[in-house]
Amino acid sequence: MAEVKDPRFQVVGINWKARPQTAAKPVPKRRLAGKPVFAFVLLLAIVLGCLFAGQLANHDPSGYYLQNLNEAPDSSFYFGTDSLGRDIYSMIWYGGRVSLSIGLMSMVIITALGITYGCISGLANTGVDAVMMRIMEMANSIPTLLLLLLLMSVIGKANAVTLAAAIGVTGWFALARLVRSEVRQIRNSEYVLAARCMGVGFGRIMTRHLIPNFVSSILFVIIASISSSISMESTLSFLGLGLPVDVISWGSMLSLANRALLLNTWWVIIIPGVFLLVTLNAITSIGNAFRKGNTKKPSNL
Amino acid sequence: MLILSVVVFYFARWAPGDPLQSFYGDAVESMSSEELAAARSRLGLDAPIHVQYVRWLQGALHGEFGLSLKYKMPAMRVVSPLVGNTLLLGTTAYLLVFLLATFLAVACALHEDTWLDRLICKIGTAVYYLPPFWLGVVLVLVFSIQLKWLPSSGAYDVGKAGDVFNRLRHMILPLTVMILSHLWYYGYMIRNKLLDELRQDYVLLAKEKGLTKRQIVWKHCLRNVAPAIVNIMAISIPHVLSGTYIAESVFNYPGIGALSVASAKYHDYNLLMILVLITGALVILSSILAQTVSEIIDPRIKETGVSAWQR
Repeated sequence: MAEVKDPRFQVVGINWKARPQTAAKPVPKRRLAGKPVFAFVLLLAIVLGCLFAGQLANHDPSGYYLQNLNEAPDSSFYFGTDSLGRDIYSMIWYGGRVSLSIGLMSMVIITALGITYGCISGLANTGVDAVMMRIMEMANSIPTLLLLLLLMSVIGKANAVTLAAAIGVTGWFALARLVRSEVRQIRNSEYVLAARCMGVGFGRIMTRHLIPNFVSSILFVIIASISSSISMESTLSFLGLGLPVDVISWGSMLSLANRALLLNTWWVIIIPGVFLLVTLNAITSIGNAFRKGNTKKPSNL
Repeated sequence: MLILSVVVFYFARWAPGDPLQSFYGDAVESMSSEELAAARSRLGLDAPIHVQYVRWLQGALHGEFGLSLKYKMPAMRVVSPLVGNTLLLGTTAYLLVFLLATFLAVACALHEDTWLDRLICKIGTAVYYLPPFWLGVVLVLVFSIQLKWLPSSGAYDVGKAGDVFNRLRHMILPLTVMILSHLWYYGYMIRNKLLDELRQDYVLLAKEKGLTKRQIVWKHCLRNVAPAIVNIMAISIPHVLSGTYIAESVFNYPGIGALSVASAKYHDYNLLMILVLITGALVILSSILAQTVSEIIDPRIKETGVSAWQR
């Protein structure tokens, strides 16, 4: 057989297989476009820093260095010391552990309560649903902070777990409302109906049929609840109703801010605040990336 | 509100913190058990909870809200001079928030997806997630301590209670905190509503008539969005009230927000009760007001009855 010289042709035989077009590998840059890479890296750095607090810290975070009160940042105390003589650099990492875990714990509680309440209310008949929604409206009309003040004054001396529980218990209303409206939309679909006809219990319907269908649309609320819980923790601690000063968290570090104002020691205020701020913004922008992109019509204007 | 009062009352009395402690201070520790019992019965703390509640309710209906255990004065007398301060701060902040939010939203909607819109959105989101108390402290640090421009605390200097200018100077920082911490949340909502509105057909017609973009947004779209804005305003009242708690505490502004924080700290339940009730009343009154306003703006709501409102 004559050799085929023209490169545009090729010999095919009985065993010939179309070679799949090697798909152009997505350039990493394009794959990451529109995703909050920067926020993710920042958050990862902070989380890792908190996990390896023991290696990073160069002082005992709860040690009182009484001869170094209110020291400005220098080579030994990287971020300075506060009015009790504690090393802020070491406290940041240990405090971050507490703050982040409070955020996560509250998030779990908020998610569990919000989804359960929302599903019950969404699946229930009109009367029960109306009553449950009225209760929610009532709870919603009281400022959240006031509810928390009440709870914290009842609890008295708080620790990280009770604080997270209090924040979780007062924070799930918005999520429950969202879940309910999602459930209302899918409750009449055939598969839910079929499941009910077969006598599937509420718990199974919720976990197998409802949650997988609305989880994508509530994910960003759940992630945002981490940052709002962390922010709540710091607010309460700052007001003197959260964690006491000797339990180190970013909030309780900031509760010394008023004293720092009198002493004019800016690093006590700015440094934990910046860490808090960066964390909150990073979590939020990651959460927003999970928001469904809305398909926009072109404007008429 | 009755339900609210029952819940708060029971909650408060379960609390482990001893009200006697804040009434008598450290003297409690040196008292014998008989003296303690006598003090308890004098304050009516020995009766079962429901008896205490009925007694409190009877008093409340006659305008007697009991003694503030910390200030040793009738709770009403502690609270009443402060309500005005909070209302002044809260209302000003509330109105300014929505005024500015509307302006920002219009600016964004006019320049949708240009650099201006994106810039405002980015900055707005970042500012919204600043913890308000930290923002307050930083503002004090910069403006009162470093630059010495503005006072850091209180509602007025001593002996200048009637001086309007002095009061205004004291309100600038708390107002800034409250406005910045709420502004973009509502600004963004209004912006999105406006953008939806811009995709309606009547906008095309208005454009064909030869109206400028500005005229269309201000005269046509904003009017149609107005009921939605009022609706958001009604829902936002508790949210903004929460803001007064933080702003007042940071700046030591004498108002009911700072007082609530203090009374929760010192287990001063009679005081806390009345504060909760006042807050509840404020919220209910203002949502009724908001409903009336939105009926005036948008008569359709009235025709369809309550259902449209509670949608």
